[in-house]
Parts: sequence; C-alpha cells; structure tokens
Amino acid sequence: MLTKGKIIKQVNLNNNYYRIKIKAPQIAKEAKPGQFVMLSKWKINEIFLKRPFSFYKIESNLGTFDILYKKIGKGTKILAESKIGDLVELIGPLGNGFKIPKNTHNIAIVARGIGIATLMPLILESKQKGIGVYSFISAQTENLLLYSDKIESISRETFYTTDDGSKGAKGKVTNFLEKVLKRIVIDVVYTCGSKRLTKHIRDLQKTYNFLSFVSLEEHMACGIGACKGCVHKTKDGYKRVCKEGPVFPVEEVIFND
Amino acid sequence: MTKKVSLEVDLGPLHLKNPIMPASGTFDVMCTLLNENELNKLGAVVPKSIAFKGREGNPEPRTCETDCGLLNAVGVPSKGVEYFIKEELPLLKKANKIIIVSLLGDSVEDFCNLAGYLNKVEEISALEINLSCPNLNNGIPFGVNEDKLYELIINIKKNSSKPIIAKLSPNVSDIKKMALSVQNAGAEIITISNTFMGMAIDVDKQLPRLGNKIGGLSGPAIRPIVVRMIWEIAQVIDIPMIGVGGICCAEDAIEMFLAGASAVQVGSANFSNPYVMLEIINEIKEYLIRKKYSSIRDIIGLVRR
Repeated sequence: MLTKGKIIKQVNLNNNYYRIKIKAPQIAKEAKPGQFVMLSKWKINEIFLKRPFSFYKIESNLGTFDILYKKIGKGTKILAESKIGDLVELIGPLGNGFKIPKNTHNIAIVARGIGIATLMPLILESKQKGIGVYSFISAQTENLLLYSDKIESISRETFYTTDDGSKGAKGKVTNFLEKVLKRIVIDVVYTCGSKRLTKHIRDLQKTYNFLSFVSLEEHMACGIGACKGCVHKTKDGYKRVCKEGPVFPVEEVIFND
Repeated sequence: MTKKVSLEVDLGPLHLKNPIMPASGTFDVMCTLLNENELNKLGAVVPKSIAFKGREGNPEPRTCETDCGLLNAVGVPSKGVEYFIKEELPLLKKANKIIIVSLLGDSVEDFCNLAGYLNKVEEISALEINLSCPNLNNGIPFGVNEDKLYELIINIKKNSSKPIIAKLSPNVSDIKKMALSVQNAGAEIITISNTFMGMAIDVDKQLPRLGNKIGGLSGPAIRPIVVRMIWEIAQVIDIPMIGVGGICCAEDAIEMFLAGASAVQVGSANFSNPYVMLEIINEIKEYLIRKKYSSIRDIIGLVRR
C-alpha cells in the first residue's frame, strides 16, 4: 500500500549512521521481520525513485517502525536532514520476511556492520518465542558495531570480530560460528547482505546440519515486482529480490565471481 | 458542479476512454498495487513485452538511477507466450477492455510466429511491436534500419489482423524516416519512443554500473527529446501516435498531446508512484476545464504548426 508516514524521532548514532522512527500505523500493523518499505522524502523531480529500507524495529501497538541507515547518497542525506514532524511517502510492507521454522530451539545471526538493521527484529521475535539467539557480529572497527549492548543483552552468546582488532578478534566471524556449531545444535543461521559471510555459512552447512537464510540487497526501482530490476541469480534462475525475496535459503543463491 | 470534459480518443481503430496507459515493462498485472476498479480507469493496459519462448533477461545489476532518470538493462525476461495466455491474460481481461500486447522477437520469423499465435486471441486489442529494446544485441537491426523495419511490419501484417503499433527506437539519426517506413508498411499506430541507449560507470570500482554494461535511459531526462520527436513525426505522418518518455505528471503528458500525440504511456514514474497514472487522468481533466476545452481531442497537435 502507498501511504504517508510522519517522522517522530531521529538519532545520529555516530558518523554516518542514523536511526529514524516513523509513525505509519497501517504499515507497522502488517510489518514482519525481514520485510522492507520503499520510502521517499523528496519529489519525483528531485530524486526519481524511492529507496528500500528494512525494518529495524516494529512496534505495531504504537503504530511505528524504526529504520537504521547509513548516510551514503542523495536520498539518505535528505533523510538525515529531516525534522520531527516531516512527512515521508511509503510503500509497504514489502517482500517476504524471515521464517522461523517450527521446533526451532537455537538460531545464529551473522551480521556485518549495518546488516544488523535487517536482523534486529528477528532477534527480538526469537527472544520473545524463547528461542536461543547466538550472535556473530563483525565490522571495520569497534564503533561500527551498532547496538552491541542490546544484542549482548538478548543473545545467549555474542562474538565480535573487527578488521582492526579494536574489539573482539581479527579475522572471520564465521570461525566463531563454527566453534559454537561444534558444541551446540543451531537449527537456523540467518545473515544479511554480505556475500563473503554468506559463502562462509554455505561452506559450514556442508559439515554441520542447519537451515540457513540470507536477506539479499539489490538496487530496486519499484520494490513491488513490476520492473524486474532487482534480480539475483538462484538455482532456479533469476529471482526478484523485492518479490520472491529479500530472504532466500542460502543454498539456493548463486554468487557471480 | 463538476463540468464534463471528454478524455476519449481514437487511436486508429482503437477507441480509448482516456489516453493514459502504462508503458510496457513498467506495469505487471500480477503485482500491481492498483485494484480492478482502478485498473479499469486506465485507457488501456500494456503488459511487459512477451517473447515466444521463455527468456531469462540480463545479469544483475539491472538498474541504476541517474540524474532525473533511470538506466536499465533488464533485458526483457519473459515466461513465454503460453504462460502469458494462461496466467496473465485472465487478469488483464478483468483489468481493462483494451489490452495492448507488446511483442519481442529476434527475427522476422520469430515476430511473425508470435503475432500469428496471438491473432487468435480475441481479447487482445492490438499488438505493439518492440523494435527498440536497446539491451538485446539482436533487437538493434530492426529499429535502426528503415528497410528492415518496413520488411518486418509488412510480414507481421500478413500474419495478424490486429492493429499493429510500431514502437520505434529513438536511437537513430532521423526518426521521421523510421516513422514513414512503418506507416508505409501498414502500421496503424506509432509509439514513440523507447529508452535511449546509455551507460553509467562506478568511479570507485571503475566498472560499469549495469551487468549488461550499457542500458536504456528513461525518466524525465529524456522527455524533451521525445517531445521533439513527436513534433517532428507529426509533420510527416497521418497515423496516430502514442507518446512515451519521462512523463511524471499531467503537464508532461499535455506537452506530448500538444506536440501531436493522441495518447501517452507512463513508464518509470509508475515505480516511484504506483498511482501516478490515475492522478494524471484527473489532472488532465482539470487542465481542460481551466483552459475551457470540452475534449482532449481539441489539444492534440495544437503546437504542430
């Protein structure tokens, strides 16, 4: 659905990372972890297309949702300069969110940097369902490990790696995942965006028995499936990230090298 | 009191209740946000080009936004004509009385087979021949060569009694020659234009931004070029024209009517605003009332002189 939303809060987390809270009751009511909205806070003659953003937090009872984003281009720059009370135009909620299979006892989430934006509502939902969450988080440097306190408070165990070693270890965060897989049965591993991490997870799947899903990112023009622009290669040919995804089983996704 | 103005137009043998329809490739009846009632308010529906057999389309990334425009190299993925008839056509029938089906082929024979196949399908109102998809190597020769264009349209006409709409490629040096060529071959209607060939490069990665490297530019950036082409073609042909390229609001559409188009298609603006076509229909009515016209027909080609 196409609707207006009102910006009710915005925080600059650090550097170019922002968290914005939008009131849009119809969207908040239907939104599920892993889904996204197409958003514009500009006229069509300023920036031509809307931008996709996944939900960071969904509060359907309050009629709000939060987006965690990085200021990288024209659109996110305009969004970062928003004032409280400003209106945005939204289409959503869109796409298929994360599925938590029946009889899931433990999940792992593997995220790099802003990737946590998409996975956070899944962590919260899992926690509510009494599912054990094991978190494996990486970033360039410590202050880009966003909301690590919150993740730690929800997760049974949390592991970090940073490229510069400022927090946790250096190296692959999936090495920690493997160590955990050796001692605990993880039913499902979820990740977002990073091709490298997704490939590591797929390698681990060959040895350890778990289901695995990745939320993919692609340039989107419409977000509703009409333009066929945001495809990703899968074992069944090209699939639209906005419509058949953005969440896909890891083993179905094919990466070009 | 609301004043009555008529948006009805004749497009050769087609009679439309209003001159607004989607451009092929920007509308999918399987996933539109518009409901049946809203779809019925359009002048026509135009699904994405279909090919006889299924085709995958181009590698990702397929789209890239540019200043005032969208560069795409989607490459016309199609599930083939049988899937179209079985899955899409029933929905299109509910959506609108006028169904214009866009065809893609890679040879004269291919186009003719498809046109012949669809000739039997009663519900299809007209066939729009995609002569210009810039993302396919094999699509180029038809659109840029007036003799090949002529030969193709003549042969399609032999295989189909449906009205033929020739959707011209703008990537030519003299668009008037192409328009005359398809008119002489018997096309009833011309659509002008398709996307303009373009390219964008990521300067950090030092790589093309599209998987196919080059693509087609749409959006407001191309509109003045299309308005010029409509105006030029209107001087030399007698058959009606559908204008398409960068329309985002009623004013953009009206420019094309004034230049000589009898109908318009709205393309990539549908991506930004799925309701834009309905808004344009209402705003055109307001324009006609404000300018004291009783019919859209009164403004078609006004600036032709």
